[in-house]
Amino acid sequence: MSTQQHVAPKAFCAAVSQALDAGERFGGGWVSTREGALTWSVLLVAPVETRVISCQAPRGSVDSIVELAEAAAWDEREAHDLYGLDFAGHSPLRALATHTADPDRWMTPVSGDGVHQVAVGPIHAGVIESGHFRFHVVGERILAMDTRLFYKHRGLERACEGHDVDGALRYAHRACAACAVANTTAYAQAVEDARGLSADRDLRVARTVLLELERLYNHLHDIGAICAGVGYAPGTMAFAALKDRAQQINANAFAHRFLFGTVAVASGAVELDQSATADTRAALRELHTDTAAAWRDLEFAGSLQARLDGVGILDEHDARRLGTVGPAARAAGIADDLRQGDTRLAYDGFTAAALDAATGDVADRLRLRAAELDTTYELLEDLLGRPLARGAALADRHASEELGVGRVESPRGATTCIVELHDERVARLHLRTASYANWPSVAHATAGNLLPDFPLINKSFELCYACVDR
Amino acid sequence: MFVLLRQLSTIRRDAGLTRGRPVSLAIRHVDAGSCNGCEHELGAVSNPFHDLQRFGLDIVASPRHADILLVTGAVTTRMAGPLRTAYDAMPDPRLVAGLGDCALALNVLGADSEFAGRLEDLLPVDIRIPGCPPTPDAIAEHLLAALARDTRSGADQLSTPPVTSNSAP
Repeated sequence: MSTQQHVAPKAFCAAVSQALDAGERFGGGWVSTREGALTWSVLLVAPVETRVISCQAPRGSVDSIVELAEAAAWDEREAHDLYGLDFAGHSPLRALATHTADPDRWMTPVSGDGVHQVAVGPIHAGVIESGHFRFHVVGERILAMDTRLFYKHRGLERACEGHDVDGALRYAHRACAACAVANTTAYAQAVEDARGLSADRDLRVARTVLLELERLYNHLHDIGAICAGVGYAPGTMAFAALKDRAQQINANAFAHRFLFGTVAVASGAVELDQSATADTRAALRELHTDTAAAWRDLEFAGSLQARLDGVGILDEHDARRLGTVGPAARAAGIADDLRQGDTRLAYDGFTAAALDAATGDVADRLRLRAAELDTTYELLEDLLGRPLARGAALADRHASEELGVGRVESPRGATTCIVELHDERVARLHLRTASYANWPSVAHATAGNLLPDFPLINKSFELCYACVDR
Repeated sequence: MFVLLRQLSTIRRDAGLTRGRPVSLAIRHVDAGSCNGCEHELGAVSNPFHDLQRFGLDIVASPRHADILLVTGAVTTRMAGPLRTAYDAMPDPRLVAGLGDCALALNVLGADSEFAGRLEDLLPVDIRIPGCPPTPDAIAEHLLAALARDTRSGADQLSTPPVTSNSAP
């Protein structure tokens, strides 16, 4: 259950600073508008509880917390561009969602002998989402990279305002196909949090199965993508085939390759009888065997492995500073995984996969995903030992009916959904996905590397553009 | 360079050549505002279960090499310009395919102000592939049907360029 604390604008920074000093971490920031007035809120997350600190911005400006929590940089830039909120102390406040022609308004100034720019995108050479990267390079060495996303900004957050909670679910769903289960589960949890509902055992198990099936096809995809990043075609094709089989399992069990429509608010949306559960489990067991064999082959593929070590390093210090989440953080040696200690799903006693001597390079991000695939297969093996029932979320406490927070470990890391309700309707929905949290880390890991290695580094994070451009 | 490219494009169009062996289609994909589902499935048509390349269908890196512009997503205001640029860069004859329900303006979700308009109103759409997202099988089926139309007769747009040139000597 989340608590909300309203503070005076002058006390805002001190309140956030105190929370950070106590070990809480920045988990997202968003603007809400009520009767024309802007309110700025930030989420602070501790291992168990989350809380929200809010302040009003009567004159359209609040104090920036970017000096306290660098992870808030994108949130503040987005709030400025989409809601016109100013952040005192955030200088320069570069454009993020606004696409200005003036390079000084959005790019890092980089100058020196032989420095030049390479512009890539928004349309890329392969089948890739739209986004623009501006590299500042000397020769082939990248000095810095500016990321410009929001080409596909669809205004989903604003468009869902005023809908009832079931109507707004469709918008959270549409944000991203590859994270559809994680995003909608976070949304459903946020609504349930606001209403004081708790998922029963059946609903928790069903949602956990769906989340792990989503992780399965994504991780298989990501391993294939890293192979593609170095042009190792056999690995690309083998893992593309494994991914397709995982999606065929999704389609057979839940009638959709991306598991669309499997999450509802306050109730389950899927069930699986004894024989369907057994079939799914058997298909997954076979896929696990083949995945293990394919992975062993990759480990001994010299032409692949020789390209990965020491490339695109994101070390633990920087990952903490930038607020990196998910496999990218774990590959840097941070043992954070929302599945550990989770109380709203069925991850009882779960321990996140970890690497010995994690350095945070491309090789580690690849190895970590392979290790996580094993834990995912084991979880599914265990959870699919019984038929799946729909389940429901039941009222078990008094709640605010106003604000709710949902947090789910998506394939790419912690994804947060904030919901503000007003008269039974969604007044504000804010989706802060793992991709959103991690894009600044990609730019950081890219600096100092060679330009031809960028696709590899980018694919080792394999973030969604759609999850940002919601 | 652009003058040369335009000249070459005009020559190719005016020459009125039919495709020598019309058994391939080069596809250029543009994500105009999708949720990434169509991209995943478009990638899947190249996987070993579908291997669309065996039919002569291939994704190419540049619109200048492409026969078909395959558009995913509802066109956002910020992608309308790049989409138009990609289309303009394609040599004639060219086709446009709308991939997925969003590109076909079915059940689009979002704020109206973020979208540039229906793809159909921005570019001439020749091939429609519905689905959310369309399965790799459905994508393959529609693209192969387009290829079959192309192979079958000279009446199709792709086989015979539009008669806009002066064919007189």
